[in-house]
Amino acid sequence: MRKEYKEYDFDAMVGSMMSIGALLADGTEKECYGMLNYAPHFRDIFEGILGAGEPGMMFIKMANNFLQEVLTAHDRGKKICLGTFTLPPSLMRPFDIIPLWVEPMTALGALMWQRGVTEYLNHCCELGFSETACSGQRGALGAILAGLGVKPDFAVCNCVGACDSNATAFNFASEYLDIPLYTLNALPTLVDERTYEYHREDFRGMVSFVEEQIGKKMDVDVLRDILLETDKQDKFIGELQELMRVKPSPVPGVYAFLMYAMRFIYCGDKIGTELLESMIRIAKKNLAEGRAGTTSGKEDARVMAIYIDHYAAQLKPWQFYDSKNISYLGGALDYFWHSHSPYATGLEEGCYSIDTSSVDAMFDSMADQMSRMPMVKQLRGPYDTPHQWKSDTMAMIKTYQPNFCTFTSTVGCRNTWSAIKMLSRDVEKAGIPALVLFGDSFDDRIVSWENMRNRLDEFIEVRGILK
Amino acid sequence: MSIIKEFNDIAKNLSNHYVDHWKQEGKKVIGFTCSYIPEEIISAAGILPFRMRGVGATSTSIADIYYGPVNCSFPKCILQLVGEGKYNFLDGAVLMPGCDSMRRIDEGWRKAAEDSNGSFPAYHCFFGVPHKVTTYGLKWFTTETRNLATSLEKHFGVQITKSALKNAIRQYNESRDLLMKLDEFRCQETVPISGADVTAVIIASGAMPRKEYNDLLEKLLDELKHSASAIKGKKRLLIGGSLNDDVALIQLIESSGGVVVADTLCFGSRAYVDQVDEQEDPFVSLAQRYLTHKLCPRMFGAYKNRLEFTKERIKQANIDGVILQNIRFCDMHSNENSLFERDLEAMGIPCLKIEREYGPLADVGRIKMRVDAFIESIQ
Repeated sequence: MRKEYKEYDFDAMVGSMMSIGALLADGTEKECYGMLNYAPHFRDIFEGILGAGEPGMMFIKMANNFLQEVLTAHDRGKKICLGTFTLPPSLMRPFDIIPLWVEPMTALGALMWQRGVTEYLNHCCELGFSETACSGQRGALGAILAGLGVKPDFAVCNCVGACDSNATAFNFASEYLDIPLYTLNALPTLVDERTYEYHREDFRGMVSFVEEQIGKKMDVDVLRDILLETDKQDKFIGELQELMRVKPSPVPGVYAFLMYAMRFIYCGDKIGTELLESMIRIAKKNLAEGRAGTTSGKEDARVMAIYIDHYAAQLKPWQFYDSKNISYLGGALDYFWHSHSPYATGLEEGCYSIDTSSVDAMFDSMADQMSRMPMVKQLRGPYDTPHQWKSDTMAMIKTYQPNFCTFTSTVGCRNTWSAIKMLSRDVEKAGIPALVLFGDSFDDRIVSWENMRNRLDEFIEVRGILK
Repeated sequence: MSIIKEFNDIAKNLSNHYVDHWKQEGKKVIGFTCSYIPEEIISAAGILPFRMRGVGATSTSIADIYYGPVNCSFPKCILQLVGEGKYNFLDGAVLMPGCDSMRRIDEGWRKAAEDSNGSFPAYHCFFGVPHKVTTYGLKWFTTETRNLATSLEKHFGVQITKSALKNAIRQYNESRDLLMKLDEFRCQETVPISGADVTAVIIASGAMPRKEYNDLLEKLLDELKHSASAIKGKKRLLIGGSLNDDVALIQLIESSGGVVVADTLCFGSRAYVDQVDEQEDPFVSLAQRYLTHKLCPRMFGAYKNRLEFTKERIKQANIDGVILQNIRFCDMHSNENSLFERDLEAMGIPCLKIEREYGPLADVGRIKMRVDAFIESIQ
């Protein structure tokens, strides 16, 4: 890593920027946009998020809150758990532990800086990661492994069985930082009794592991409150997604991103619930006015992502769709499979619900919720078996009726890259144009946004999407 | 034909006269893709378990229709051979999520069969193996093993009796014993057999009937006892990392002035150092052995166990240097090889970490140059 990159800690820099962003959100429009002139590199991202109105401002404050919690955790005597986005952060709150999820941190860095997180990505390779290992982990983890981030106290990874690249990064981090690691295993099946039993045992193993790390028991009263709040959030997410079904969709495209970002950092917390309520208010207002969620208020086409979003170009992908009056309906990261979800019709068996009637019921609910997180649910078994990637994608297509679908991922995502060619054919066979975009969601050096945008433009034109 | 030549012929070709003869007798063959699949179950059904490899693939043009550009070339080569019809001699397949690339042979095979009107075996089983060792994981694996037996019985109209299963376990344990004896020869100061030939011997275990294999291996061990050939004065190497079923890779390493006397590979010692308990219930014993045997990095959170195993092998075989190789896009071995390199170098054991493609020595010049330099550096 270049010497100058070691001058400042990664998390402190992101935190500092977010804290300034949070102050801007409180200012008047004139103050806010006046200040942005002095921060040209961050203008795009802040302008993009603040442009989302009240939810954008709330999101910046929420992200700032998350970062400050991480940065001050040890000073406040709290332990930090290193984890992955597929773990609901609410798992850690009943232990009074601060969740430090790697991918949201990487995404924040990639979104906010023009140079992205490239130095940290490189640092992992210097330590021995393959240069195509998943960039979602390599970004923030590179900084942590370089000592440029708060050192976590232990780690929990539930991607085992769903993503080798992710799981092996946690394995490496655990050895390199000499911190204990607990892994939760996604089996190739989901809905049979044997799998439920395995996941629930695995979950209880995690509870024991965490209790051992902190030397105290989980607070079940806090757990109950968090689960009830999670249930409320799930219903709100369902409501927002129900609104997306309307043509034109009254939900601004960037809300899909804000929604899952919230879920990955403040699931089960009132901060997250307020953000959802705000988004619903605006979407309902748009609906009442007959407006689409796009800036122009018009919807000329609808697009759905088959997998994750592209963060390496700040908010340009969302802005690209918005500029063409294309409603962005989110992707695999937006779908949590709560039984209230609009896309769950006919697939209820693959859903979870929250039961707070006893400690055992709460544990089982958490285990079920965790095993249905994005990626952990769909990428565990053969992609075309029930409740896996194909059936989920087809359910989304049926529910949201996009005019086309796109696939973006990281080059380290062996699991999706080994199936996307087959899945995109299935999507095409279902009558939906599907574009597989090679690139890396967190690393603009693999394929530049300009190149990706050209491919998108060409695809939209050739397939007559806007005609 | 000499015994070593026979093992080499089997290792360097996809099929062999044992398989041909087996089929001519009207018996069935089932392909499997990973060392976590308990072959004994298949064998006890009177079916030949055949470990699938990509040997002989000269392109990945068919596999690339299904796989992406950032996937491992080993499963791609297997799928290529499947697409070319080279595995049409199989009557069934047992596939599993060994890793994220290997798991997709399942779907790729099915799609390839649909696309080209090719053959997808009538019998097919997706064998789910957990990625960590726990009591509930063991229970899961035991059920998977029983389910595999039941599905074989149902499909092929056979009965897997307890005595047949115990007999199969005994035969496979005997192979493991014999391979351990072969290891003892390798650990001697003067080595009577090259690492390349040992690789061929090990690969052949997954490609021929077990009784014939054991007989042949016993004869080889007998020959080695009285062998006059001796490899001396070469640097003693251990090879670890991604699977290797390419005899030529070991030949390449040995042509640089080393001799491979130990390994921690899946087509290697990891496959035979642990026995199946013959006293317990056979399904439980098989699950216990296969789930907990010397672990592949697909079993997460067990790096220290693997480091211990590597250190044991280094000590037993008096190793001068370690070659840690991984097939491109294999995150599990790549990351872990870096940890091995860090920890073994700290103990004063020279290590070479290389990345390679699977297949017919696609990057022979580069690997040769690096191995040459490594061996020179440990001299």
